[in-house]
This record gives sequence, structure tokens and C-alpha cells, in this order.
Amino acid sequence: MVARLRAAVGGEAVLTEPAEVRAYECDGLTGHRAVPAAVVLPLTTEETAAAVRILHEEHIPFVPRGSGTGLSGGAVAITNGVVICLARMRSVLSVDIANERATVQPGVTNLAVSEAVAQHGYFYAPDPSSGSVCSIGGNVAENSGGAHCLKYGFTLHHVCGVTMVCAGGEVVRLGGSVPDAPGYDLLGVVVGSEGTLGIVTEVVLRLVPRPPACVTTIAAFDSMEAAGAAVSAIVAEGIVPAAVEMMDRLTIQAAEAAVRAGYPDCEALLLVEIDGPEAECRTVLAAVDRICAAAGGTGTRVATTAAERALLWRGRRAAFAAMGRVSPDYYVQDGVIPRTRLGPVLRGIRELELEFGLRVGNVFHAGDGNLHPLVCYDGSVPGESEKALELAGRILDLCLAEGGSITGEHGVGMDKACHMPRMFSEGALATMERVRAAFDPLGLCNPAKLLPTPRLCGEVPGPYRAHPIETAGLAERM
Amino acid sequence: MSTAAAPARALLEAELGAESVREGTPADAIGGHVPAAVVTPADEAAVAAACRLAHREGLALVVRGGGTRQGWGRPPRRCDAVLHTARLRGVVEHAPGDLVCTVRAGTTLAELGEVLAAAHGHRQCLPLDPPQPAEQTLGGAVATAAAGPLRVRYGTARDLVIGTRFVLADGTVGHSGGKVVKNVAGYDVSRLLVGSLGTLAVITEVTVRLHPVPPARRTLLVERASAARLADLGDLLRTAPVVLGIADICWPEAICRLRVEGTEEAVDDQAAGLAELTGARLLDDGEAAELDASVAARPWRGAGAIAGIAVPRTRIAGLLEAASAFATEIVVRAPLGVAEARLPELPELVTQLRAAVERLGGHLVLHRGGAALGGVAWPAADGPEVALMRSLKRALDPEGVLAPGRALGDA
Repeated sequence: MVARLRAAVGGEAVLTEPAEVRAYECDGLTGHRAVPAAVVLPLTTEETAAAVRILHEEHIPFVPRGSGTGLSGGAVAITNGVVICLARMRSVLSVDIANERATVQPGVTNLAVSEAVAQHGYFYAPDPSSGSVCSIGGNVAENSGGAHCLKYGFTLHHVCGVTMVCAGGEVVRLGGSVPDAPGYDLLGVVVGSEGTLGIVTEVVLRLVPRPPACVTTIAAFDSMEAAGAAVSAIVAEGIVPAAVEMMDRLTIQAAEAAVRAGYPDCEALLLVEIDGPEAECRTVLAAVDRICAAAGGTGTRVATTAAERALLWRGRRAAFAAMGRVSPDYYVQDGVIPRTRLGPVLRGIRELELEFGLRVGNVFHAGDGNLHPLVCYDGSVPGESEKALELAGRILDLCLAEGGSITGEHGVGMDKACHMPRMFSEGALATMERVRAAFDPLGLCNPAKLLPTPRLCGEVPGPYRAHPIETAGLAERM
Repeated sequence: MSTAAAPARALLEAELGAESVREGTPADAIGGHVPAAVVTPADEAAVAAACRLAHREGLALVVRGGGTRQGWGRPPRRCDAVLHTARLRGVVEHAPGDLVCTVRAGTTLAELGEVLAAAHGHRQCLPLDPPQPAEQTLGGAVATAAAGPLRVRYGTARDLVIGTRFVLADGTVGHSGGKVVKNVAGYDVSRLLVGSLGTLAVITEVTVRLHPVPPARRTLLVERASAARLADLGDLLRTAPVVLGIADICWPEAICRLRVEGTEEAVDDQAAGLAELTGARLLDDGEAAELDASVAARPWRGAGAIAGIAVPRTRIAGLLEAASAFATEIVVRAPLGVAEARLPELPELVTQLRAAVERLGGHLVLHRGGAALGGVAWPAADGPEVALMRSLKRALDPEGVLAPGRALGDA
């Protein structure tokens, strides 16, 4: 198999040395690990297709991988399987500003796309906080969002077309650079399929003009519930901010200790960003300030320049990594609740803190109900990491009880496959199985991810360990 | 008509009760097939029972909502029974604080609009405005990926649907997505159902993302402009510092209707900026209402086939040129390069306009008129992409129960 792969893509593009392939054993969620038999690093769609055809003929399972920053174990290798890593395919192939499109290879980072079009006054909207290192291919796999998706939407709304190598090695083009491609919207299901339906090797992205104006404001509240009420009031006024973020005392303290963003000392901090035409921004900002004040918000600070805005965001962006200042270890949960159910869910989380004797910090994309509880624990205390994982799982129960979701942006991957039956009925899961089989009848493409399997769901994942890129300060968990 | 059709009505009556089944008449014909029965299931369980039966007995079912877009796609090869969603009606849940609403599939857009208008002094809406809202059901709008002028700002059903409940052809009941806007758990099966023309599953319930009703709007008009100037608008609007709700080029009138949305305090600022940029004239409320009425439901009013067209925005001039040669009427959503055209029901005209659109780097799909024009409704089905679509249809509907042939010709 290795000899055939080397013949297809070149000897140096196939890694088999244990020391080399070990680097591909896990993604950003380091509790799940497996060492692959080989890693293929293709440079083109044709090379990817050639490799997949060989693996398909030999019935060898394979795992597509981008930058490996995922937080759900979606790119964890398979023992005796092959990792197909697209990280070397990092060219911006074309930019068409007049039609607001960029065609890129999957290894290109979000940041690189925005940098390539910045001179024209454009940007690429989805902004996961790992945007400086995570790849567009990974964004497509996870349907990535970020802090600004409340207004701008998710990857689904920003990918117009893809070239994809199917599980059997055929190359298909789904969608296109113009909208409304005839036929079933296969692209719509490929986005967010976590690399289980094929390997995307080229992506046509929608570019967005930079808004004429953008302002950011923060306000301090004496409870998360009060801050949540302010968010509800903002929404009730018909305002759709570009971003609404909320942090609790524990995460504010951690962020302050780490980056000194100058946040007020308070129980809850609300950060609201508004963009659009200048006069609209001014009026909406005035309304937001009025609403926050009425809900008990104090210490309002407004940033209008890019530098001031960056400072206000710095604490929020650093919040996850900063937890290391207040806890030896932490697990990042990713759940979604209807925004209006924040109060009961926070009360539930507090009860869990007492029950488990562990602290939980709360960072919340308050606009769209995406909660990121940070479960703090000490991995050196026997049994504590298991306890933390159990607590994190119970938070998902709270989310589901309120009609929410087990993941808003990190994906199901290997981490949450066993939680899927708690959210989806047998019929819903059977439908997904059939969709998967339509794309990959042999089940070779990223198996044991996304959907529950008896083998997978009998296993207990290992504890969280900091990923090398995280330790290096290149990415945060968000 | 298939041989299975004769006992279809009796079988369905035995399964669902006589009150849910009536005899099909020529008025119920779909794609030239008069169905043996029209089934009106009372709820999702009854939909599942009908599908299980059809799957077991080899019946072909065609789903019908308001009947406004029944001719989309190719004519189905068979239709033993029509499955009418008329009784799957009403709003299940409206959560105003979360800007989401769950609605049974047979609810019309007008009914939904009334419910939303009655709540909280009309502060929220589903900004999905295809023609015929009084008949157009939400399920049908999803199945046809419907949209209207507001798609410039809010997108199509693809962008507004956050969850669905559905019944597969064999009676399997499933759901996808949920009631929260941000959600990446599992495959987004809802996306597959958007635009699937009722061939992959019967949609029984839809959860949509609502938007606030903008506090203020202003309408502007570009009049008697050349094709070149209208086409240039597509590019001018690209970076205009405004929030555009509507930007419709109407041909052959050679006008462009523009609408900006915003706050009472600042919307005039936007309108003034847009007028300066485009040379458009700001209309007063009376003029705006008159214009809206005159272009409403364009180009769907009047006889003829309707084609859905998309071209790169930079090729709008070419599209207008092609349209003036082949089409009676065309509306182009200027910032998107997306258009709807009405043309005579002549296969060679459709084929020629399609060729012209494809030369511009776009594509054309026939919406209305498929029954008369048959084979030219959708582009030729070929290539590995279509093989994948066929494989999907087989996986979800192995016996070809749901509108067989409508989407892919054979499957």
C-alpha cells in the first residue's frame, strides 16, 4: 500500500516513520489519540484522488486533516489507517473582487484569505478564534462559525462551491461560483459533515465588503442573568449586533491576569459589536447603551478605532487560554441553548459545580446561545479529569433539556458521537447513516466519527492535555 | 398509469381511514397522471403510515402543498396518490426572544405572517417573499428553495431554515437541526430537503430563523436606464454603504427598484447616499406603494414558462441582452446575479436561452412550465455529481416512492 501511495504522490509526500506519523495522532482535543500507519501530504486534487483510489481499492480507512486545530477529535487518526493531510495545499488560486469570490486550496487559513483581499476592502467573514492557523478545509468540515456569525452566518453561508474527492476517488464539483446550482444541494450537507463524506480539495468562497463603520462597547453587570436580560432586550428592540459576547467573573479574572484588557471588576461582562453604515451604527450604539443602562449595566466603554476594539476583544479572545492562570487543567464544553434560557441553564451549571466540587467558568456567544463552559480541574488529582468530563456531559443534558444542541461550532467528531442519541431519534440517526452510505458505501472516509458506533461508545476518552499549538500561543479554544 | 394505481385508494383508506382519502380527479393530475387517490393525512404519524404503505405496495406518492409550484422539475413518471399537506397546519411554537418559529409544513406563508404580525406588534417576520403567499405553504417553499425580492438581504429558504422534521419514503420519521440558530450536530439533512422538490422526504415541520422587522425603509427608483447602466448597478451596489433589502432590475421596463432598511433616525442618510451613488430617485410612500404593486410577483403574473437563472454579477449586461431576445419579462436581483424570467412555452426558446446563460458562466432551471416542456426542465443529468445525487435518492427512497423521475429523470 505504501509503495503504491509513493508511486502516486511521490516518496517524500508519504510519511511512515513512527516519529513523523506520531505528530498526526490527534487534533486539538488531545484526549483521543491513535497513530496512523501512514500520512499522505498531497499537493493537488489529482494526487488526493489518486491516493484515495488506492485506499479504496485496498479497503483502507482514511482520515482527512487540515491544521489539526479541531476540538472534537474529528481528525484523530485510525490505527493502521492513513491520514490525508491537506496542509501543503495552501494556495489562494484566484480572487475575483467584482464577483466577490475567492478560490482557495483547503490548507489556506481564514486569516490568509482575509489578508489576500484586504487591499480591496473585503474580508472572509467566518472567524473562529483559531483563524490564524485553522484551515478553510477544516472550516468546511466543521461548518465553523466564530464570534460574528450572529450577523454574518456560518461557513455554510460563505462557501459557494467545492471540488471534492469522493470516498471512491471520483472528483465532483458541488455548488459553483454562482448561486442556485441545479439538483440536490449536496454542498449543503458536505459543509459540516466533518470529513466523513469526502475530501474537499478546492473551495470557492464568498467575500464580504468591510462594513463602513464598526463600534464595540462593553458594560459591567452584577449578575449573568442581568447581562442576559440586557441581551434579550437588545434583541427585542430588533437590533442584530455583529457580535454579543458574555463572560462571568471567573473568566474575567483569568483574562485580566493574562492580558490586562482593563475589564471592570464585575460578575458579568457584556461585549457588543455593531457594524454597518456610519449613521446606523451611531443610532444603534445609542440604543444598546440605553438598554444596557436600563438593565443595570455600568462602566460602559466604547471603542471606535481598530486599536481600541482590539483591546476590548483581547480579553475575550484570551479567555480560554487564560484559564490556565486559575486552574491547572480545563475542559472546554460547547453547547447551545435558546438565548432566553440562559438563567435556568446557569443555575443548573452552578448546581453541578456544587455537586462535583469543581469550578466552571462561562464564556457565552450570547447572541446565538452558544455556551462555552470551561470545566476546571486538576489532572494530577486521581479521578478528577473523569469527574470533569462527567460534569461537562451533564451540561449538555442541561442544553438538551432546554431544546438546545450538543455542539454549536466544535462539531461531534469522536468526542460527542456517543451523545448523538440523546439529541437525535433512531429515525434521525438512521437517515444520517443512509446519507453517509450514499457518499461512502464502504465506510472508509473518517469512520467512527460523527455517528455513534457500539465500539466507540464503549470507550472512555483520556484527559485533556494542552495541544502544542496552544502551548505555543498560536490558538485558543473557542 | 401504473397497474398498482387501481387498488391504491382502497389500500390508503384501509390504512388511514376514509375521512383522509378521496378519489383523485383530472383536476388533481400531476405531470399528466391522474392519481387514484388524494390523501390528506391528519398528522405526521399518518404521513408515516401513508409512506410505509406506499413503500410496501410500490405506490408512487407526490406531495402537494399549496400547489403553486407543482410543475417544478421534470414531470414525475408516476403518481398513484397525491399526499396533500393541507391538514398539517399551524404554528407549533413561536419563541420571540429567540427569533425562531416552528411551523407545520402545510401552513401558508400568509398564515404564518398573520401569526407573527399579531405577536408583539409585528416586530418579527420571516423575510421569505415568493409570489402567492396566500397559497404558498412553508413546506413547499422549502422543497422548492423559494425566495423573492428580499433574498438580496435575507437569502432563500436555504438560509432561513434551521431545522426540519420529515418522513422518509419508507415511513422512517426523522429530524435534522433543531430550534437554535447555531448548531452543528449531525448531518444537516434539512439542507438536502431544501430544493429537493419533494423527492427525498415528506417535510412535516419546519423551524425557521426570524428577523426583526426593520423600523424604517426607503424605496428608490432608477428609471428608464440603459441595459449597461442597469448592469453597472450590480457593481455599484457591491460596496454601497447601505443595508439593501431589495435591488430588482425589471426588464423590459428598464427600471431598478431599490430599498434600504434601517432605523428611523438614520435611514434617510442611507437613502441620500444611495441616490447620490446611483442617480436613483427617492420615492414618497404613495409612489413606493404604487411601484411595489406594479412589480409585485414579477415575472410570475401572466402566462408562460418561468425560468430561474443565475449568472456571475459581472455578466448582468449579457443576461439582459439575452433576455430581451428570448424572454417576455425578467427580474434580476442585481447584487446577486440571480434572475427569474418568463418566456413562451417553446422548448427551443428555453434551450437557446439556457445556452446563452451558460455562455455567460451561469445556469438556467425551468420552474413553471415543466409539464409542457418535459425534458428541458432541468439541465441534462450527467456526470459524477449526478451519480452522487442518484445514489442519495436511492439511499433515502430505494423503491422510488416520492415523485419518481422529477429530480433526476430516472431515479
